[in-house]
Amino acid sequence: MNTELPQLKAAEHRGSFGLMDIAIILGLIGLGWSVIHFASGMLVHFDEQAVPLLDESVWSIPYYAGRTLLRMWMAFACSLLFTFGVGYAAAKSRIARAFILPAIDVLQSVPVLGFLSATVAGFMALFPGSLFGVECASIFAIFTGQVWNMTFGFYHSLVTIPADLQDAAATFGLTRWQRFRTLEVPASMHSLLWNSMMSFGGGWFFVAQSEAISVMGKNIKLPGIGSYMAAAVERGDNAAAFWAVIAMLTVIVASDQLVWRPLIAWADRFKMELTESTQAPGSWFYDVLRVSVVLSWLSERVLEPAGELLGKLSVHRNGPQPVVAKGHTAVKQFLYVGVFLVLGLFLAFYAMRGLVGAVQAVRAGVSLQMAGHIAWLGVLTMLRVFAMTLLATLLWTPVGVWIGFHPKVARVAQPLAQIAASFPVNMTFPIVVGLFVAWRIPMNWGSILLIAMGTQWYLLFNVIAGAMAIPNDLKDAARTYGLRGWALWRTLILPAIFPFWVTGACTAAGGAWNASIVAELATWGGTTLKADGLGALIAEVTQRGDTPLILCCIATMSFFVIVTNQLIWRRLYSLAERRFRLD
Amino acid sequence: MLHTSSSLKYADVEKSPVIVELRNVTKSFTVAGGSEMKVLDQIDLAVHEGELLALLGQSGSGKSTILRCLTGLAQPTSGRVLCYGQPLEGINPHASVVFQTFALYPWLTVEQNVAVGLMAKNLPRVERDAAVEKAIELIGLSNYHAAYPREISGGMRQRVGIARALVSEPAILCLDEAFSSLDVLTAENLRHEMITLWHRKDATLKSVFMVTHNIEEAVEMATRICILFPRPGRLGLVLENHLPYPRDSKSPEFQSLVRTIHETITTLTLPDHPPEPVIVSGAPISRARNRMESIPYVPVGQILGLLSILRDTPDLTNIYDISNEIGKEFGETIGIVKAAEILELVETPKNDVRLTELGQSFLSADRIGRRSIFSDQIHNLRIFHIIIEYLRLQDEVEADQILKDIASALPYDNPEKILQTMVAWGRYAGIMDFNANARTVFVLKDDAEHAPSA
Repeated sequence: MNTELPQLKAAEHRGSFGLMDIAIILGLIGLGWSVIHFASGMLVHFDEQAVPLLDESVWSIPYYAGRTLLRMWMAFACSLLFTFGVGYAAAKSRIARAFILPAIDVLQSVPVLGFLSATVAGFMALFPGSLFGVECASIFAIFTGQVWNMTFGFYHSLVTIPADLQDAAATFGLTRWQRFRTLEVPASMHSLLWNSMMSFGGGWFFVAQSEAISVMGKNIKLPGIGSYMAAAVERGDNAAAFWAVIAMLTVIVASDQLVWRPLIAWADRFKMELTESTQAPGSWFYDVLRVSVVLSWLSERVLEPAGELLGKLSVHRNGPQPVVAKGHTAVKQFLYVGVFLVLGLFLAFYAMRGLVGAVQAVRAGVSLQMAGHIAWLGVLTMLRVFAMTLLATLLWTPVGVWIGFHPKVARVAQPLAQIAASFPVNMTFPIVVGLFVAWRIPMNWGSILLIAMGTQWYLLFNVIAGAMAIPNDLKDAARTYGLRGWALWRTLILPAIFPFWVTGACTAAGGAWNASIVAELATWGGTTLKADGLGALIAEVTQRGDTPLILCCIATMSFFVIVTNQLIWRRLYSLAERRFRLD
Repeated sequence: MLHTSSSLKYADVEKSPVIVELRNVTKSFTVAGGSEMKVLDQIDLAVHEGELLALLGQSGSGKSTILRCLTGLAQPTSGRVLCYGQPLEGINPHASVVFQTFALYPWLTVEQNVAVGLMAKNLPRVERDAAVEKAIELIGLSNYHAAYPREISGGMRQRVGIARALVSEPAILCLDEAFSSLDVLTAENLRHEMITLWHRKDATLKSVFMVTHNIEEAVEMATRICILFPRPGRLGLVLENHLPYPRDSKSPEFQSLVRTIHETITTLTLPDHPPEPVIVSGAPISRARNRMESIPYVPVGQILGLLSILRDTPDLTNIYDISNEIGKEFGETIGIVKAAEILELVETPKNDVRLTELGQSFLSADRIGRRSIFSDQIHNLRIFHIIIEYLRLQDEVEADQILKDIASALPYDNPEKILQTMVAWGRYAGIMDFNANARTVFVLKDDAEHAPSA
């Protein structure tokens, strides 16, 4: 019957201890050693005046790749913890929800790269004389790039758990922890994993950017693949740059193949439907792992009992917990509300104080004329974002639909598009800018291409997914009625892929705002090309460290993002939801 | 009250101790527009030790809400829930629920799903595994330990649901339409096993409380049957059922009990009452006047189908025969008949259903003629005047506005469903249409000539 769960009922299909198990044990040891080795590099002494030079040798690339990878995973771990804590609170408490959801909405519109200067300064002050401060700033940048999406996804799956499953948990008197472990995490596992994979993919962009930063007039280079690449380009060392790109791709593909694909394959069982999936996602690495004796022993003897122990420690009471607090628990309820209120007021007070300070600084440091100029630059960048979305749509919709209609091609092309979306193209910007210089392409137009290089892929793989999701009977019906050409596109294809296009375009446009900060101002060798736009201005003032201007620019960009979200993407989403759902 | 048998064994039930009871329980929900919908009204119901109590009612009558109150899944708006004489706080520790949808966790194996029933007890591993094994054995799932719910059939899934409910050794097992999403044969099989389980005297399981809309199922299984009438839910009839097990559904006693229930439901749902006074269109509708009559949530197509069947088979007049003929649950059939009756297309003397003259001429009319009759009849229904009055003054009206008015006119109905039905009927009559995007009801301009003048 079933042979899928190594950690449960392992006795039934546990093989014997084999070569693979030795390999896995060695792998685990190696992993542990690497983590310690790379982590020790994070804690070395750091002096702003004497920043150590990076090793130029190609042979140091693996070390730098490891450092970058460790940074990514630390940021991801933080994101995951934040997701569980904050997403859970938002789903469970009405009061918390009232604060958290709007906050996430605003925060995910803030361009992460813009406040890199502030966070670098802050974290360096927190860990004086240690590289760990700069590491934290980088990790924080990745964290803010990926966390909102994950938190919101987790919250959403928590509140959409089917009522009968929740009732069952209630009638059998599961404690909070037991409910979390047996119902809430499994029920949201699928969406959590997909969101994590996407967020993690998006994180490469931020890690590459935050490793080599110039803030407050200083050039800071964290040891990592992104900074190695930046240094190679500065020197004009093409061979080193080439190997850095290869290393980056290797690390991305390895993360995908060795971590995310196995996890997705494993998580197939967490799907809600009670029907057998026709095409379960597969992973060669998962197939290797699941016959391993070591791993099943670990999960059976270590993870399972630990989870149960936590369940026993969590709430040790005899009766099941009441659904609605009443009577004496009203006091408890009152206490909760009180604590929340005090916390909320405390946060609100500091937020207000910060806001007042910021406004004062901005008023003192930014003239009205400058503010007008900033707004104008914002409009220019917005037009660039729209142009990118439009061009990418025109280019990739036909391609994506063609791919989606040919499942064999799609199976290859979709993961490729996902990897392309993960690859931090900002590493290669200097080279492209070199071509701009050579071919005399004005940066005002060229920057659109730079922005598109990173973000167009979201459109492509969403369109592919949309085209693949068109039910065969609708396609057959169109064929029997002889629909062809434009009529076919108008009646079937475009409406059917519309919801997917909205998702892709919204993600691409959101990423484009962040990308504009690196795409509108780029350097190749001694030449710096600059486009007129808010992104270029933010990059410029961040280098200078002009705090009031930075604040003003970031606020303006966040404002533009929020307004376009409200006026355009929200409406398109609800239109897609109302009119173009395929069920 | 009806006592059909003299078997002493079950007659004692009334004297045996009460496990859990509702006292004067009322339950309201907030519906669209923020108004309150009263689902249960002053319910008194006790489950005694040793009985198999069936709560019979149509969908939407509030029977699941009663089950939720008894198990602690829901709190009554007013009134008390007592468990062994003590006020119930939180989840009822003596009750377990078997769900209509099984409510199994798809990511857990059969064994793990059953173990969920014991999680709250924090037993040591060995004890827990033994209890799970026992429950799995008992319910006949022995070879399915490691299977996932999606790999097994519906009947097997519900067995897992039952094992999970039994593993914690509850005093009372609550079945929430537990057999209604299974195919006929599987359901029949499980019903027998459920009776056997309840009969086992060595078990801690004392009583079974089941909620169902299936009359035969209730008569086949229960020692006592309570019938719940909707809008708002109230107990209409309590029947003792002392037929010996296993019960033969073809036996005269069985059939007579089924008939009694049929008749009770029919007389209470389709009373032979004088028709409502005809309303002059245009006269203001005062909400202070006596209560408006609700309409059953029935699509027009089913009403038309009923009329055709009545015309094509003149011998078919008895409502139970009609129910069998169209293959619908009795509760649903009653709803369709009731809809046709308030439109005056059929009349229902006693248990019979007959076409009225209007119904005859409706059937022989062409499409436009039918629409005109339907429209006339709709204008005679007071509830429709909520919309008609708005549409006399303006071309379109917001759905939310209508929902509010419906909620205050029919406090026991679901306003959304009433509006859906009204729009469906109004569309057929060609007097109104609904814009799903703007959520407004509007006048059909082009067809205005078909609308009757008052």
